[in-house]
Amino acid sequence: MTRRLSSRALTEIIFASTIRAALFICTAVLLFLIGTVLWRGGNAISLSFLISPATDFGKSGGILYQWIGSVIIAGTAAIFVLPVALGTAVYRHSYQRSGKGREALDTALYALNAIPSVTYGIFGLIFFVNILGTGLSWMVGSIILAVMMLPTLTLACVQTMQAIPALYGENALALGLSKGEVVRRVTLPQSAQGIVTGLLIALARAIGETAPIMFIATAFSGVTLPRSAFEPVATLPTHILALAQQSTDPAALKNAWGASLTLIMLAAMLSGLAFILRLKFSKVRYR
Amino acid sequence: MPQPSSQNPMLTLVSNAGETARQTPAISIQNFNAYYGENCILSEIELDIAPTGITCLIGPSGAGKSTILRTLNRIHEDAGDAHFTGSIQVLGRDLMSGYPDVTELRRRVGMVFQTPCVFPQSIAENVVFGLRGKKLSRAETRKIVAESLKAAALWDEVSRRLDQSALSLSLGQQQRLCIARALAMSPEVLLLDEPTASVDPVSARAIEDLVTSLSQTMAIVMVTHNIAQTKRIADQVVFICDGHVVESGKKTDMFSKRSSEKTRTYLTEEFCDC
Repeated sequence: MTRRLSSRALTEIIFASTIRAALFICTAVLLFLIGTVLWRGGNAISLSFLISPATDFGKSGGILYQWIGSVIIAGTAAIFVLPVALGTAVYRHSYQRSGKGREALDTALYALNAIPSVTYGIFGLIFFVNILGTGLSWMVGSIILAVMMLPTLTLACVQTMQAIPALYGENALALGLSKGEVVRRVTLPQSAQGIVTGLLIALARAIGETAPIMFIATAFSGVTLPRSAFEPVATLPTHILALAQQSTDPAALKNAWGASLTLIMLAAMLSGLAFILRLKFSKVRYR
Repeated sequence: MPQPSSQNPMLTLVSNAGETARQTPAISIQNFNAYYGENCILSEIELDIAPTGITCLIGPSGAGKSTILRTLNRIHEDAGDAHFTGSIQVLGRDLMSGYPDVTELRRRVGMVFQTPCVFPQSIAENVVFGLRGKKLSRAETRKIVAESLKAAALWDEVSRRLDQSALSLSLGQQQRLCIARALAMSPEVLLLDEPTASVDPVSARAIEDLVTSLSQTMAIVMVTHNIAQTKRIADQVVFICDGHVVESGKKTDMFSKRSSEKTRTYLTEEFCDC
């Protein structure tokens, strides 16, 4: 009896130690990354760095057009992707009756989610730049980013809609609401919290992507604010890539760290906003 | 006197309903078979529901009682593979062809489910939830809220906090709010799927009193597992087991020695070997 208990206790200790070690590794990697970027980037970042345009191929000056370009591309992508993802999720949740149809849609979304981001970039290059002849265009970059965000956001919307108790929908239907009314008055308000969180997290991921937009929407230097939809913009990820390629130059490296910190701050702001909205929506929901 | 279903319980019900026998039934079900995919859930159901009074559907779990309610409100359509054969007349019209707009049927045939489900809004907003599409003035809205809550015997408890979240109410109050919400649509038939199963005995009695009072003016079809409750409030009782109506009739007959042995066994021992 004692021996069995000891064996169970030992297993328990090993299990607890393993999960603590996993937590430690995860936290340590995150802290190391953020700490390093904060330490190295903190020296480079300043107000003038954020509001000055880059000069000398980014080795001097700031990152004004880069962060504005990133916000333009990612923001437009969000505008493109939200209605499509929401429509797909609503159809799957409220209108798709066939279980096989749902499975097929889920499989397609997971498959789309697993496509490497560079593949999206190559597709954009061939289809938009080569076949349609759009040239380098931030709008095309936004479309490709939107396609890349689509599975992530759709799955987030689907999951948040699935979490709504079926009783809400049944009660609303039993009161004589049409399916469309149930979607507008029950499903969407109840899942708003998850939709916003999913959008901001997808956006935070998209804003840091380099590969999908590198060939189709950005220029490494010499660009300012776009005057039309068919002009390239500068973005933070491609700027960091360009500076990293000149890493033997201390000035370029310093600005690369500064741009990295700005990118992390942008992503953190989006995640923070998602957190705040989540709290706000949960208060509204259960006030 | 109750008769086995093989002798047409519909006729039995009508013949036993006294005053209501001469009235046109609110619901008339004939040769009804319900399926989920290939599975037959209910077969050869024949039933008439009088325009007023309480009809209790009793029977073991899985017998198909809730399926009847869900079909009458056409909520079953939401389950992709649910379908039925036979004829159902609801308020003088065919359930399917008579109500091309299902929302009209659902407004006339209200339904309250087993688990109280209030929307995360105020008490008043919950009452008029089904009426939002109609452009009501504030005065009309206030009137409907008050009347519905009074009809649901909830007004005295919540009249001073109509703007508070409905989630702050007790489960029993939430269930009565669900009934008030259904009453706000002015239904002619009310379907109740075990409305007291999730609430405490005091709230259950309050709901029973409410249902009894409502039954004076509308047809109420209620699924229940509570035999004592059936004895207290039912006008008509339908005993369903394994997808068939075993027996149906007036409460006094069903609870007397005149009922069949199967029914008596279920009513006294809550056991069924169908």
